[in-house]
Amino acid sequence: MRVHPAARDSDIVDSTPARYVIQIHGHLGPTVLLAFPALVSQWHGADTVLIGLLDRSALYGVLAQIETLGLDLVEVRQLTQHQKSPRSGDSRSP
Amino acid sequence: MLQVQRDQNDAQQFWLALLGAVRHASATPSRAEPPAATPEFNGRAMVDRVLSELADRRGPLIVVIDDLHELHSQEALALLTRLLTNLPPQVHAILTTRHDVPLGLHQLRLAGELAEIRAADLRFTERETRELLDTEGIALSAAGAALLRQRTEGWAAGLRLAALSLAGHPDPERFVAEFSGSDRTVAEYLLAEMLERQRDDVQDLVLRTSLLDRVNGELADLLTGRLGSERILLELEDANAFVVSLDAERTWFRYHQLFGEFLRLELRRTLPEEVPELHRRAAGWFTLQGQVVEAIRHTQAAGDWPVAARLLADHSFSLTLDGQAQTIQALLRAFPPGAPTDDPELALVRAADDLLHGHLDEATAHLAVAETHVETTPLDRQRRLQMAIVSLKLSLARRRGHLAGVIEQARLLASPISGQSDEEIALGSDLRAVALMNLGTVEAWSLGLPDAERHLQEGALLARSIGRPYLEVGCLAQLGFASRIRSFAITRQRCREAIALADRHGWGAEPVIAPALVTLAANLVWTGELDEAERWLQRTAQALQTDTGPGIRQLLHLATGRLHAGRGRYHESLEEFSAAEHLQSQLEGSHALASQVTGWILSTQARLGMPGQARAALAALTDEQANSGEIRNARAAICLTEGDPAGALGALADVLDGTAAVIGYITVVEAQLLAALAHRALGDQNAANMAAERALALAEPDRLVLPFVTTGAQELLESLPRHATAHAALLADILDVVHGASLTASNQSPSPHTEELSPSEFRVLRYLPTNLSRPEIASELSVSVNTVNTHIRSIYAKLQASDRSSAVQRARELRLLSARRTR
Repeated sequence: MRVHPAARDSDIVDSTPARYVIQIHGHLGPTVLLAFPALVSQWHGADTVLIGLLDRSALYGVLAQIETLGLDLVEVRQLTQHQKSPRSGDSRSP
Repeated sequence: MLQVQRDQNDAQQFWLALLGAVRHASATPSRAEPPAATPEFNGRAMVDRVLSELADRRGPLIVVIDDLHELHSQEALALLTRLLTNLPPQVHAILTTRHDVPLGLHQLRLAGELAEIRAADLRFTERETRELLDTEGIALSAAGAALLRQRTEGWAAGLRLAALSLAGHPDPERFVAEFSGSDRTVAEYLLAEMLERQRDDVQDLVLRTSLLDRVNGELADLLTGRLGSERILLELEDANAFVVSLDAERTWFRYHQLFGEFLRLELRRTLPEEVPELHRRAAGWFTLQGQVVEAIRHTQAAGDWPVAARLLADHSFSLTLDGQAQTIQALLRAFPPGAPTDDPELALVRAADDLLHGHLDEATAHLAVAETHVETTPLDRQRRLQMAIVSLKLSLARRRGHLAGVIEQARLLASPISGQSDEEIALGSDLRAVALMNLGTVEAWSLGLPDAERHLQEGALLARSIGRPYLEVGCLAQLGFASRIRSFAITRQRCREAIALADRHGWGAEPVIAPALVTLAANLVWTGELDEAERWLQRTAQALQTDTGPGIRQLLHLATGRLHAGRGRYHESLEEFSAAEHLQSQLEGSHALASQVTGWILSTQARLGMPGQARAALAALTDEQANSGEIRNARAAICLTEGDPAGALGALADVLDGTAAVIGYITVVEAQLLAALAHRALGDQNAANMAAERALALAEPDRLVLPFVTTGAQELLESLPRHATAHAALLADILDVVHGASLTASNQSPSPHTEELSPSEFRVLRYLPTNLSRPEIASELSVSVNTVNTHIRSIYAKLQASDRSSAVQRARELRLLSARRTR
């Protein structure tokens, strides 16, 4: 997972938003989806994929929510500018 | 055991809770009082305190810290690392956390002193799953159990949730099959299941109260609009349904984090329009209970920003005094970005926060914002706002050492609060006590000493009546410092009282008590009790580790400089005085000690044989400075070094006849001594002796010793004819110090075998340290030699001494020769 360690100087957090793809095991129902208002959800097989534009602090907020809800995080990926959506064979290992 | 509060940002609150938990476990009656908070948090001292209380325990102890991931304070975590790597051997710690936290435990890991139980270890095996089901009385086939385990992947919380739904379920196998076949995430599926199976009123209750961190029956009734909530909560806990009580009486409850999280989301999904109102009702209830922080949080959650701002502004003083400064910061951060600049009340809170952290320029800016809005504030809040602004300005002035021009505003603070609600009076009293403390402090440092005493005493009384020991200590500490115009005895007494109070609350090493520590130390230096003084100076240095501004540091340097001078180490002395002078430039405006500092530097330079340097510095002074008594003395000292005793006498003239401005009588004592030296150099021994005698007379009431030591008057004093002085005992003490001894103050009570001496015996005792013979003593006292002999025999007996010198020694140990014992 290309996630930087949390112990960074908070003054120089990179706040440029980027597009992220977050894959979670299982289907998220409407209640739990309320926890991720900034993201759009799709079902991919047995998993749910959340996509959206997030800056660093929002990303960490999402990750914290996932932990709090006991969700099973499979992958977090930042899309480069040329990618518009994840391709199925393209997942890099965490 | 300590469970970290949700989203704990405040290092001090966490550590106070931990210390409280340790004390609770120790349960010794003397330590029963809860630890007190201070506005500024000294982390290192806190860890030391916890470690020492842990070390005091005899038996083994296990410290459990639950939910460590909720501790969001880097400072607190760093301190915790220090604690954990220094635990005494009989103490063990258990930490639970959802994710790794930045605790530097690699050291312990390498030493094999760390056991980690990670997620994989906690997964239930098939056998454990079957055990769980058996314990819950759930009849499920082996295949069903295996399926259940597989679906949950052995996740403990999931299994427990499943067990809740399975218990009493008519068809467990079907439940597991459906659960297994669903794509939903485990938690969501099972929680929704569990919620759905509850009665309507139970569902409603848990949903509506999910937005609270803790819930009790009364609060739940308020949010649901129905009665009987307490019973429901108790039932839920009994059914083990993810509700747990927090106290022994089972009045307060908390939802398991996962459950609560889900419920909050479900609440937003099903009753979104009711959420703000629920927050408001909760806020109202917490306000009535005096739980301000909770009230503010819920008001913010409801989106009522102006109301939240008012609440925070009203209580920020009290919260700071309760040691919740970091909580205040977190609350401030929760406001939307524009708020601090738009809202004068918030600007004030921000200013106070800046001040606490030493950001003086930002504080000034925020204070200015608050001030511009005073006129537009509703009338009923104006006075409070004004008082808060004035108080902060005083605080700012004190930190900056900038003392001019602020005192006029103090008129506002002089009038007591009246005609307001009880709550307003309470809020105002905190403010007023802080304001009195700041005012008194500012006055004490700018030589408005009688006013300072008055205000600080008033502040201390008010603080005691409103139960603010920290403010009381603050006032009393500054009062000790402000007592300079009083006798040494009174100053010492006040300082010791302040220190005792501080020690009682565990603040003996906090900056707040530093003024009393340094004043006591300086006082002891003046009377030649150098060893004890040194100990107090060390304590002061410890207390000043967290920076508290230049003023008090300057005092520390001055007292230390004088200590060195008393020991004859003039080079070290000069270093300290120079450091003091350097700090002078950081204190805006004229300052009480400036001329004293300069005077001492010049005199010491003269003493060290650097008159040229001293002269140069002298020339750089303004006329006003140069005419002060302290500088005149310095000039005289320089003249003496240069071999110009007549010039010295000329410089001293105005001091001796009382026309020069002096800081205190000590300057006059110095002047008399310098005059004595000058007369001696001019060959007029008689005049010299008279001047020396005048100096001794001035010094007698307070038993002042230091000036005699530092003006180089040794030979003069030694050659004083003993029977010509009425201050033989004092003289003897002085010479002791000159010869390198330190006068001792014994804190022990007199040994039980010592009888009290009679007044006549006392009179004789005071001559024993001199080398007057018995006939000479008799002549001094106008009694017969026989009488003197009788008294001396009695003295020896009572003091259990065999000869004169041991009698003197014993008398010194028992402080029988000090001014405090004579009336």
